[in-house]
Amino acid sequence: MNGEPVGRQSVADGSGPSAAKRLFADYETRPAYYDEMFAATGVPRAHCLELCEALDGMQPDEIAAMQALAERSFLHQGITFAVYGEEGAQERIIPIDFLPRLLNAADWDVVERGLRQRLKALNLFLADVYGPGRIVADGVIPVDLVRGCPQYRVAMRGLEVPHGVHVALCGTDIVRTNDGFMVLEDNLRVPSGVSYMLANRRALKTSLRNLFRRHHVRGIEHYGQLLRQTLAELAPPGVSDPCIVLLTPGVYNSAFYEHMFLAREMGVELVHGSDLLVHNGCVYMRTTAGLRRVDVIYRRVDDDFIDPLAFRAESQLGTPGLFYAYRLGNVTIANAPGTGVADDKAVYAYVPDMIRYYLSEEPVLANVETHLCRDPEELAFTLDNLETLIVKMVGESGGYGMLVGPHATPAERAAYAEQIRKDPANYISQPVLDLSVSPCLAAHGAAPRHVDLRPFVLHGSETRLVPGAFCRVALVEGSLVVNSSQGGGGKDLWVLSS
Amino acid sequence: MLSRNAEGLYWIGRYLERARHGCRLLSDQLATMEDRPVEEIDQGWRRLYRAVHRTPLGGFLASGEEDEDFMLADAYTMADDLTFEPDNPDSIRNCLAAARENARQVRNILGVRMWSCLNLAYLDVRDVGIETIWNDQPDAFYGRTEDAIRTFSGIAVSSMYRDDGWHFLWLGWFVERTQLLAGLVDAHLAQYPTAAQHSESDWRALLRICEAHVAYRHLHSHSHRPGRMLDFLVADPLLAHSVRHALARVTEALDAISSGRSLAVEAGRRAGRMAAAIDHDWPNRDPADDAATRAALQGVRNSCLLLHEDIAATYFRYEIADAP
Repeated sequence: MNGEPVGRQSVADGSGPSAAKRLFADYETRPAYYDEMFAATGVPRAHCLELCEALDGMQPDEIAAMQALAERSFLHQGITFAVYGEEGAQERIIPIDFLPRLLNAADWDVVERGLRQRLKALNLFLADVYGPGRIVADGVIPVDLVRGCPQYRVAMRGLEVPHGVHVALCGTDIVRTNDGFMVLEDNLRVPSGVSYMLANRRALKTSLRNLFRRHHVRGIEHYGQLLRQTLAELAPPGVSDPCIVLLTPGVYNSAFYEHMFLAREMGVELVHGSDLLVHNGCVYMRTTAGLRRVDVIYRRVDDDFIDPLAFRAESQLGTPGLFYAYRLGNVTIANAPGTGVADDKAVYAYVPDMIRYYLSEEPVLANVETHLCRDPEELAFTLDNLETLIVKMVGESGGYGMLVGPHATPAERAAYAEQIRKDPANYISQPVLDLSVSPCLAAHGAAPRHVDLRPFVLHGSETRLVPGAFCRVALVEGSLVVNSSQGGGGKDLWVLSS
Repeated sequence: MLSRNAEGLYWIGRYLERARHGCRLLSDQLATMEDRPVEEIDQGWRRLYRAVHRTPLGGFLASGEEDEDFMLADAYTMADDLTFEPDNPDSIRNCLAAARENARQVRNILGVRMWSCLNLAYLDVRDVGIETIWNDQPDAFYGRTEDAIRTFSGIAVSSMYRDDGWHFLWLGWFVERTQLLAGLVDAHLAQYPTAAQHSESDWRALLRICEAHVAYRHLHSHSHRPGRMLDFLVADPLLAHSVRHALARVTEALDAISSGRSLAVEAGRRAGRMAAAIDHDWPNRDPADDAATRAALQGVRNSCLLLHEDIAATYFRYEIADAP
């Protein structure tokens, strides 16, 4: 099966009793939401016209078959993700939707400028709060919000990191609403999803070869190379050819496939904490030829677990003494410990202020209106409007521990309100967003589903990003939850060169 | 190479060879059920269990018992035990699961095709049970699994970079083969002493299991001489499934891994001594003295255990002070 639309006109003509149904025959645009492919009138957007026509000329069954084939190949290759708490879910694939989402050059330009600006400000913020603390002294952000944040690492205070880069890589969640692009979340700790972005691209590029070629889609395959280059730039001073490793919690981690994939793409060793040891203040890995000095660690292990001597003593995943070696400047850890203070859901509300404070610029990408329940007035507002709000716990990620007000029962809302009252500072609330929709393959042809996107930004001696993103889809009709850990799927994002 | 990766590859080799050996033993044993008398089949099971150092959960047939139905039910249980039993760490399914688990851990250094091949082989045995394969063609199942393992090794040969990873994969593979072959020949002698008058078919079965029957026939025609067969399986360096050939591959891998490293010689020395013992002592052995032969084979098995310890201590789990 080559999956090409060419030569299938006889099917799409719709002539004869056995003619198959067209993909978009029953597609209904919803005026309340921005549709990524169709304008409000139901006409395809200019940059989607060709794709729309080509897809409409294919049979839904055929696309479904390609999709099933790709998913089977994901399973065979072990391109998997685990959903915690679900029995037997150790190795699940992230379902792929085969209808790509297109972004024109102008839209991508906004996203890219916004991401660069945001990451620059966030790095300045981290260097500041672990350094002189100007932003707090100037009263832009309340001191207790920063110091009281569970992700604030006292051990990082006064530590100068190479190039002042705390966040070397992030995966920012961006949504499009009727008001334009907005940042939903900055993932600055150990963001995942980049391998699924690349796997989805590979699958679509193979199956829809000609269509892909005709669209002049910008390439993303060099991500591994950029990642390695970025990490190499962050090596301790004086190291010219650094030994880089990727530290994984192991095969039972939900994103293990990604760790393995990135290590292979970069050509670096994938290590467990037990493969490393600290000797005389330096980090070494155990090889068959003896101990080898390690200069840069791209860690996919949370702060708490990287070093049982510095953080959680019971951690089996880390390496004793790692943080000591880091403080001595003998090894670089990317991202630096303590970056979680900048992607805390309460600190998030202040990112636009950070941009203005450090860069004297207006934010390119807006924030979602956020109510911090630590403030008595906002707490009252949240409790009064629970049925229309989404409430999140500040320290949680991945869609865990949140309340989607409109979809919750009165009993669930009451129970959640009780929790909020017990510890208001631990909660924030946001309005339910009018997330844009994109056509996805459903049981009887294409149907609109809510989507977001997670581009991956790298920051070494300069900021780099590939023009693409892991585009997450809420596969259930009407659902707004796109998180992979909550059963969402993915689709390929095609950033067009013109 | 990262020690854990080397160890992962080493264990992939060991487990796959163990699974392959198991397939071979079982497909041959099941083939005997087509036309051999019950007593002979029972003897075959005894040899098989002795070779894998295990006792069947329900015991063997009582001596002299010749009930066909009982024998069939028994074979079903024993094949299940050796193929699918979750509590048997060396069952074929468990071996494939362990090989795949190791492969998962080292996937970043394993080619996509090698991984897919192993993953598919595992997925194929994961969801079937003895009842499925018994009602179908048990032979076909073992043949398919063995083929998948051979395909894996073929992909490795044609695609792997010849660095330490390559050598550790085959080191594990041939340490395992040495140990299994020594164990099998020893179990065979325990069951069928050379002096006793047994049917030729038992010895021919042994040759078949070791894929040596064609080469043996080519060299020695159809002459039934247990002593010669024994020499062939143990000491012929050209036979892929002989103890001597497996040892040659072990020393080859160890030489490649340890080249230029002064501390890594103990494992190499031990393997060299094992090979030398066969080269120099084996031809002088008394072909009728099974006790001495069996002691020599058990010596090979024990040396394999020690060799494994040497390898682990030198390359996988050394202390800082002992770093090579």
